[in-house]
Amino acid sequence: MIQHIDVHSVLQESSAGVYTNLVTRPTGRVVRERIHRVIASARGAASITRMDFNGVGCMDYSCADEIVARLVRDWPAVLLLQNLTDGHREAIQGVLVGHGLAVLVEQPDGTLDALGTPAAAIELVEQLVAQRLARRLPGGTFALIAT
Amino acid sequence: MTRLVDVPTQFDDRSFDQFTASWVEATKDGDRLLFDAHAAEWASPYGLVGLLVAGEAARHKSGGERALLTVPTNADVVSYWARAGFFQEAEELFEVHGRVPKGKSREESDVLLPVTAVRAAEDVHEVVSKIQQRASTILASELQLDPKATMGFAMALSEACQNIVEHAGVGGWVAVQSYNWRRKLARRVVVIAVADAGVGFRHSLEPTQAKRFGDRWGDAAALETALIQGVSRFRDPGRGQGLAGIRRYLARWDGKISIRSGTARIAIVPSWDDDVPLKEGLPAFPGAQVLIIIPEQGSAKR
Repeated sequence: MIQHIDVHSVLQESSAGVYTNLVTRPTGRVVRERIHRVIASARGAASITRMDFNGVGCMDYSCADEIVARLVRDWPAVLLLQNLTDGHREAIQGVLVGHGLAVLVEQPDGTLDALGTPAAAIELVEQLVAQRLARRLPGGTFALIAT
Repeated sequence: MTRLVDVPTQFDDRSFDQFTASWVEATKDGDRLLFDAHAAEWASPYGLVGLLVAGEAARHKSGGERALLTVPTNADVVSYWARAGFFQEAEELFEVHGRVPKGKSREESDVLLPVTAVRAAEDVHEVVSKIQQRASTILASELQLDPKATMGFAMALSEACQNIVEHAGVGGWVAVQSYNWRRKLARRVVVIAVADAGVGFRHSLEPTQAKRFGDRWGDAAALETALIQGVSRFRDPGRGQGLAGIRRYLARWDGKISIRSGTARIAIVPSWDDDVPLKEGLPAFPGAQVLIIIPEQGSAKR
């Protein structure tokens, strides 16, 4: 089962509709805590949590660390990020490498990409394939089986 | 008695220590200060936010009494200071003497972000939001910055401002401007200046880092620890990402960062600049002052 989190909506709820950018640690902390609550309140255990960043403006390094790195580190389900801008990628990549972590990114064509440490990324993909949640495509790319 | 603090004619990061030397001399006896800017011909965003820091520190030292400030006599200069938002912030800190233009728009093409107070996380949100609306087009069209660079610019700005909120213990100011840097580079640059009159890097890092350095501990060691080693006063492994992120961004776009705190200044120096990486024994000045410079991309280097 895949659970869907609309990060922009969570940000809006967290800031009474005021903020469109994921900046500052306090904001990141509030957003992560809300995401935690959303995930925890879902019925049944999701094996993949898809975080959709559509509509999120700037994300700084502090928020990338406070939200993405901490969720990757602490949450048992596999995180899958979607609709990332180049700016989001830049922030997340640097932070994850600093932690030795990786996260999977679902591209518009459905294939999977990874951000963070290459070794951790390979391990993540292998884990998904072993759990029959993802499959290898011709050409060496990967895509989700579960939707 | 009133003591005079000279504001340099060309007031930027290069002349800042001339200003701080005058500041140290004038603050020895606890007398009221007069900041004399009448001869100022130009001030960078770094100079303007640095002057506000001096004003705040002077007010704090005097128990709330505002220092005096004589404004530049050159009408164009004082007009620029007004457009850059300096006087809006200065009136709380200084008893201003001289003609200050009123009611002029602060929205000028070269002033990407006027001098803006940063006291809390909400202010950082506002700064990032403003810079995204105002700066993206200018950064792309005037500096030929890749759209990726403009997004990274907002991130770097956010992190620089957060240093005030998280570490300074008091508020500070930020200003962003683009200008043609003929003297140094013969191309356009965009400059972020962030300054506060807070506790400074040494004081902030002392409880967790001083022991490690022993006798070598001081302002320079604290700056190296923060900027080069990415160490934060927080023990959490995720902390210290901000300055590390700014460094990565500047390495990619050939930019410069310098941080002055206490009696030292550290810099990551790109090939186009001749600054020194570390300078110690400077005149003591409160808080921290950060300068970030991103040059126009694609044109020939000096």
